[in-house]
Amino acid sequence: MNATPGQAPVKSIMPKWVRNPQDFVGGIAMMAIAVFALWASSDLQGMRGFSFGAGTAPRMFATLLLGLGAAITVVGVLTEGQHLAKYHWRGPLFVTLSIVSFALTIRSMGMIFSALTSFLIAACGSPETRWVETFIVGVCLTAFCALLFPYALGLPLQLLPTFMIR
Amino acid sequence: MGDIFSNLGLGFGVVFQFVQWTPAFLGGTSIPIPVNILLCLIGALVGTLVGVLPGIGTIATVAMLLPITFGLPPVGALIMLAGIYYGAQYGGSTTSILVNIPGEAGSVVTALDGFQMAKQGRAGPALAIAAIGSFFAGCVATVLIAILGAPLTKLALAFGPAEYFSLMVLGLIFAVVLAKGSVLKAIAMIVLGLLLSMVGSDIETGASRMAFNIPELADGLGFATLAMGLFGFAEIIRNLDAGGESDRELVQQKVTGLMPTRKDMIDSTPPILRGTVLGSILGILPGGGAVIASFAAYTLEKKVSRTPEKFGRGAIQGVAAPESANNAAAQTSFIPLLTLGIPPNAVMALMVGAMTIHGIVPGPQVMQKQPELVWGMIASMWVGNLMLLIINLPLVGIWVRLLRVPYRLMFPSIVIFCSIGIYSVNNAPTDVILAGVFGLVGYWLIKHDFEPAPLLLGMVLGPLMEENLRRALLISRGDWSVFLTRPLSAVLMAIAAGLLVLTVLPTLRKKRDEVFVESEN
Repeated sequence: MNATPGQAPVKSIMPKWVRNPQDFVGGIAMMAIAVFALWASSDLQGMRGFSFGAGTAPRMFATLLLGLGAAITVVGVLTEGQHLAKYHWRGPLFVTLSIVSFALTIRSMGMIFSALTSFLIAACGSPETRWVETFIVGVCLTAFCALLFPYALGLPLQLLPTFMIR
Repeated sequence: MGDIFSNLGLGFGVVFQFVQWTPAFLGGTSIPIPVNILLCLIGALVGTLVGVLPGIGTIATVAMLLPITFGLPPVGALIMLAGIYYGAQYGGSTTSILVNIPGEAGSVVTALDGFQMAKQGRAGPALAIAAIGSFFAGCVATVLIAILGAPLTKLALAFGPAEYFSLMVLGLIFAVVLAKGSVLKAIAMIVLGLLLSMVGSDIETGASRMAFNIPELADGLGFATLAMGLFGFAEIIRNLDAGGESDRELVQQKVTGLMPTRKDMIDSTPPILRGTVLGSILGILPGGGAVIASFAAYTLEKKVSRTPEKFGRGAIQGVAAPESANNAAAQTSFIPLLTLGIPPNAVMALMVGAMTIHGIVPGPQVMQKQPELVWGMIASMWVGNLMLLIINLPLVGIWVRLLRVPYRLMFPSIVIFCSIGIYSVNNAPTDVILAGVFGLVGYWLIKHDFEPAPLLLGMVLGPLMEENLRRALLISRGDWSVFLTRPLSAVLMAIAAGLLVLTVLPTLRKKRDEVFVESEN
């Protein structure tokens, strides 16, 4: 999960005075989110007398988050801590692609097509995938879902592509 | 006293309800079907099935299985969800005992001694004791809920908006204190959750907030979407990093001889009792729940044991105590949810999400207006525990086989299952994309040591907190001191402040870290 603390910071992009890069970056990200939220809620009405406007609570929480983010960043500078964890691109990329593919095709192509395609795309996320086995499992799972969701659970899911229904 | 019995009676009545089923092919003959019991059974089975899969925790399991309860009537759906929850938890402990990969944080400590027992060929007794301890704890907790339910509801009705707000603050502070890792980061996660809950339309004015004119965001971020992204997808991505197969060390021997010996029973009776008491108390506390309960129970057992050196080497006490404690806590954590309407932990937050989808706003009113729902659920907890005891021991063989399913096949299946589940909530492809985004966010959070569970809690409590804060200030005509001048509210705030100060004190911090570090060495 996390990079072991013992590892030498060979290619650390962080300046030396940042002793806990993980917190440092985390805190900055929180501050960025807070600033974004402050900007996004800036058009909303504030306090009217003593009653809250629509924008009061969001701005309150965003300000709080800004402060907390700053505190985390400061802690990240002052205390010793872990280096940035290593990111792997393969898993996140293919899982995300698979999710996006499902979302884009479910409406027009129906569940059977999009579930199977997404299954195969997701399977690319692991170097251990064996294709024949994966394909068989994918087909079985799709069949299972095709029975479970629309029939057993009664959810309105379209199974076949739209052009085949019409 | 009479109240308790009549309430429980009502509950069991709901659970044992028979519905006449008249299928056409039988030509008019109707068969009585105990629908709710069946739902409870299916829930417990499916929950165990998913919970057993290594690397999938309780929260992820409940989040993933939420959609399959949407089509049911509210009572049935909640009974089934409760079943899923216990099943998932039990599945988690099975995984820790047999593979040494705790499916969820709560069973980390079970893995310490459970896996050692399994290595010594005593997996059977370990699993049996876990089940028996859980069942006993479940029985006690059910009674406790029945006893505390009514008086707490009365107390809750005396709460005004100021008290509610203070109580929620207290709950969130508890969640921070009891969470693992940095206090600052946990608070930041809660606030981020609160902020995310603001997206959508304002309750009072209906103004669109931070929705950027995206129609799918107009109603706010979907709770199921967020939970499945943060826990389902993020977990998958993270597990892919870990490489899946390499560190799975399955106990290869056949699990034989399920029954614990007489000595095992005698040895584990006191830990089960202590674990149950400790778990019940920690479960009721806001922010508590199964995780902290099992850690604390294990630490306590080690402290009181005359042979502490045996812990970590296959002591049956080290399985009995945390397993009883986490089950007791899992159930008593329903108390604040059912009586006050405040979810004390992330799993309960999911329950609130499920209730809201069924149009139920949890709180003291539910207890009064829909008693059959609340008491039915409480009675179903006991039934669920009984079922786990009955179905799990004979089925251990199946769960073991399930553990052999390689991760390379499991993870695409989970991705698809989650995607279909999210899509089916609103039939909205955007929700699926959003969940994917939250999956990446969750992955980033894990990489930076931010716990996603407090975020979920903040997300659920956000609208409630805002509403009560606004109302309290409206009533007090803008006077912020209302939270300190109303006695009940002042007490709650004082406890919250005291707790926060305590956590920051170095000595207590050390203690707190010690409890969690226990699992790592």
